[in-house]
Amino acid sequence: MPQVRIVARNFMDMVAALPAAKLDKLYDSSFICEAVLRSLPPLAKKYVLQMLFLDSPLTAKSMEEWVLPDGLSKHKVAIDRLLQLRVFMEVNDRKKEPSYKMNQKFQSNMQKYLTTGGTVPREPMPLNAAVRLPSVGELETYAMEQWECFLLQLINSSQVDKSTSFSSSMMRAFQRGLLNSSRDNEAPRLTENGFQFLLMETNAQLWYIIREYISSAEERGMDPTDLISFLLELSFHTLGEAYSVNTLTEVQRLAIKDLADLGLVKYLQGRKEGLFMPTKLATNLSVSLSDASSRKEGFVVVETNFRMYAYSTSRLHCEILRLFSRIEYQLPNLIVGAITKESLYNAFENGITAEQIVSFLQQNAHPRVAEKMPSVPENVTDQIRLWEADRNRVEMTPSHLYEDFPSKDLFEACCDFARDYGCLLWQDMKKMRLIVKGGLHQQMRDFLRGQR
Amino acid sequence: MASAPSKLYQDDVSLVVALLDTNPFFWAAASLPFSEFLHHVIPFINSLLLLNQLNRVVLIATGTSSCGYIFDSGDGNASGNSNAVCSEIIKKLEDFVGKDSKIGKGSNGDGTRPAISSLLSGSLSLALCYIQRIFRSGTRHPQPRILCLQGSPDGPEQYVAVMNSIFSAQRLMIPIDSCIVGAQHSAFLQQASYITGGVYLKPQQLDGLFQFLAAVFATDLHSRNFLRLPKPAGVDFRASCFCHKKTIDMGYVCSVCLSIFCKYHKKCSTCGSEFNQAAPDSTIPDQKH
Repeated sequence: MPQVRIVARNFMDMVAALPAAKLDKLYDSSFICEAVLRSLPPLAKKYVLQMLFLDSPLTAKSMEEWVLPDGLSKHKVAIDRLLQLRVFMEVNDRKKEPSYKMNQKFQSNMQKYLTTGGTVPREPMPLNAAVRLPSVGELETYAMEQWECFLLQLINSSQVDKSTSFSSSMMRAFQRGLLNSSRDNEAPRLTENGFQFLLMETNAQLWYIIREYISSAEERGMDPTDLISFLLELSFHTLGEAYSVNTLTEVQRLAIKDLADLGLVKYLQGRKEGLFMPTKLATNLSVSLSDASSRKEGFVVVETNFRMYAYSTSRLHCEILRLFSRIEYQLPNLIVGAITKESLYNAFENGITAEQIVSFLQQNAHPRVAEKMPSVPENVTDQIRLWEADRNRVEMTPSHLYEDFPSKDLFEACCDFARDYGCLLWQDMKKMRLIVKGGLHQQMRDFLRGQR
Repeated sequence: MASAPSKLYQDDVSLVVALLDTNPFFWAAASLPFSEFLHHVIPFINSLLLLNQLNRVVLIATGTSSCGYIFDSGDGNASGNSNAVCSEIIKKLEDFVGKDSKIGKGSNGDGTRPAISSLLSGSLSLALCYIQRIFRSGTRHPQPRILCLQGSPDGPEQYVAVMNSIFSAQRLMIPIDSCIVGAQHSAFLQQASYITGGVYLKPQQLDGLFQFLAAVFATDLHSRNFLRLPKPAGVDFRASCFCHKKTIDMGYVCSVCLSIFCKYHKKCSTCGSEFNQAAPDSTIPDQKH
């Protein structure tokens, strides 16, 4: 799903777009260096390791020799990324050849990590606090509930029992691009991006929301750099441990409440001070900075007769499945549906592609079928793709038809003229007819007038 | 080299099983002291764990008479504090070497046959069993590879066992990388890396060992398709005979099971088929009985 990659990495694009001074300040913290390193493409990670203990700069040409010829494009992508994030700095030596050196602070932080090992950003609270801490399982259910509630509210505010504490302007900012109101008195419909958003994995969706949150942070008086560093640090906390709110800065304290609504942390009131516990969504954040793949258990079984069984109680899952299949029954722990031509055509109308549907089914396959190869029967996947191809049988181009030419020479001159501009679509020598792309009509008329 | 058909996390999640040579006879005479060696290996392990949150590293020690698991990063204990991990590795290594030398002395009486070579076949088998367990554990698992840090010379008596492990690894599509920290090349590991598609390297300067490890052996399998990696100049394909475990260039091969013998035998010791051909004293003039 190429769309997923673009969105997930947009968070890093945002980091890369920070002014140089702020970005360098971010690298003071070794956690951010680690998180940035983990977000790089694999080739770039190798280059960082290779350059980690080198003090003198290396020329770009010698770096190009590290890759085979068909790896050059990946090499360029990796080097660009490293330069954007200011992990590699360009150095111009006397020979005027570009060479690269590693960012000083980044280098020293990473060297320290390798030799002495990583630490945690802050110490967890001692266990003698009087508050009963939720177990890891409870934390996970809490996180999923919060996140689903938020998503449901995002796509359809009427369907939710309890709403989150986000202000309506914040929700509107999140919904921008995902929903639009087709008519004023109708409920807003999901746009094409909205559907793709729903079919993305949880981590990618999270990053999208966080990116919107940070972009609008400046208006609410929060420093985005602080937020970015806090979010990146959050993934290095230990799951299941409580941390005191007093160790957070002012900005971070404001953000904690919002993050609790998203399900990233759970906010508790301790004896003397507030506590927060990161959930699995938070600790998995840095995993998903580069290409994401969640480790959630799947719940969908697709049979060769196009029936679909989803072992889930979540309303969100039901809504998602409703996007492309016909839901027949909804039992206490099971959703039964069928993938039909009409339901798929509906999905295609809304802008969902067959690839997205197929990868959604594959990634969310129930463990019982996930081990089988393939996890979704081939006849189902092939048929979905065929139905999509059905919509593409005809390709339309606006064009003009020219006929009734007085002479063959004029006809051939017109053909050549159109061919020179690359606009000739069809010609019939015997009947002297010509079809030319619409954009060329004016020039064609001038040419014909000139010929007479 | 494509990995076995598996449900992968992402392209670059890897499981590295590193086989450390702990043969005391070798390390006593080596140019690089063992503690220095560990100073290169442990940051390398840290760097593997740094590259990706889901990477896993397993350390297996290759002794002279036994092999043992030293470290498994997927154990579930605190991954944050690496100092504790480092001291734990060192302590386990010390325990292992102590046990190993006791076993070695015990079985040989008063050490009549000094074991110069380390038990490569044993640790390769341990590594392959671990990886097989990972393959069977669930739908999603990292891409595994084996890294051998070998210094001691090859023991020809282990030829059959090592070749069997190499072919199993080839079947499972697990590359075997080798990094030679000793003085001489190892024919076994050259063959292993050649057959399984791994990388074989003998660093010229051992004080830069970390740099060699990080530059060559830290890359995940997917990126290897795009990188220029060191290729050995030639692979030593010599075999050892099955009867005396000597390394030979020319010998007799059983046509049924392809076992290799240096002398003429009436019956194959591996598959039991009888050789009906007459003793070829005349056909092979340089055969000495």
